[in-house]
Amino acid sequence: MHQRSRAVIRLFATACVGACVLAGVSMDAQQQHPDFTGVWTTYNEPGAAPAGRGGGPPLPLKEEARRKVERYQALVKPTGDTPGGYCLGTGMPGSMLGSGGYPMEIHQRPEQIIIVYEAHNEIRRVYLGDRIVPAADRLPGRNGHSSGRWEGNMLVVETTHLVEQVDQRYAHSANARIVERYDLEKGKDGGDVLVAEMTMTDPEFYSEPVKAVKKWARVPNGHLLPYECAEENWLKRLEELEQGAKK
Amino acid sequence: MRHVVCTAGVLVLLAATVSAHHSAIQFDFANTKTVSGVVMKFRAINPHMQLVLRVKDAKGERDIVFEGHSTNNMYRAGYRDNMIKVGDTITVYIAPLRDGSDGGYVTAAVTADGVRFGARSRAELARERERAEGK
Repeated sequence: MHQRSRAVIRLFATACVGACVLAGVSMDAQQQHPDFTGVWTTYNEPGAAPAGRGGGPPLPLKEEARRKVERYQALVKPTGDTPGGYCLGTGMPGSMLGSGGYPMEIHQRPEQIIIVYEAHNEIRRVYLGDRIVPAADRLPGRNGHSSGRWEGNMLVVETTHLVEQVDQRYAHSANARIVERYDLEKGKDGGDVLVAEMTMTDPEFYSEPVKAVKKWARVPNGHLLPYECAEENWLKRLEELEQGAKK
Repeated sequence: MRHVVCTAGVLVLLAATVSAHHSAIQFDFANTKTVSGVVMKFRAINPHMQLVLRVKDAKGERDIVFEGHSTNNMYRAGYRDNMIKVGDTITVYIAPLRDGSDGGYVTAAVTADGVRFGARSRAELARERERAEGK
């Protein structure tokens, strides 16, 4: 390559990075991708009512799936029991759509992104490139297996290998496929807003794809707090043992 | 002796709630009551703060068990370590039990030093309820 051509390429690359910096987007130094690393909390538009959770329009559940959900709801309604009541995380897509209103922390590396939801210390690992686990080696779970890729400045995360869940707002079968698209924007107050668009495709449960949007606001120098959900039950168990020992 | 009986009663109650500690269906979040008393026990833990207050009112003196929102959310609403200690006289804002019995869900508190922490607005209370219900 001619020296002049290389200089033109270098100049173009520098201009691209400069444009991103001017646009206020923090970039991953190695990959030139936006850096989502940090603590994020639910974004509320300044002046707007706080974003609600739960509720929303009815979901296009198929008949058999609707019966499963109704059976579950009838089961827990008298006591109000929830998975969280037993220190169980929400699972996808409930975890990425708010996780009980608690904040989340993202650690971003080129080959892996770790998302920690404060509630129940729920953790998701998003693998990229060579870190993506072969399909035959994945174990199903409530948060499934997530693989990511970059489409320009947008992070696209695909999650499969879930287990059937009727115990959350977005019930789904084990064969659901969830795609999240993460993009950085600027909020009205000038702060970073991470917009997550979720599309869940699950022909077993739904007559059409289910979509939802969650917005997160960056918390500058934010920290997650410890959340040892089982501590309460353990301390109560110790009290029981102490009472038994006194008899 | 009365205190021994009270304490044993409290422990029985705590034990009975072990497997349903997150259920908030028994609390009336549409109403707020205030209760003042002396702290007999306090645990700043998740998913619910645990509190026992010795209360003296028209019904007499007794120990009342409360649970409250998570320590993490109380922290973000102003709570800090050691704000509440055994022996302190405090006031709590609670969503009372629907059946009218003693106890409730603590949504805010005023410490012995007069510091208030916890939920303040109706919208905050609505969010408290959703969180308590694990939505």
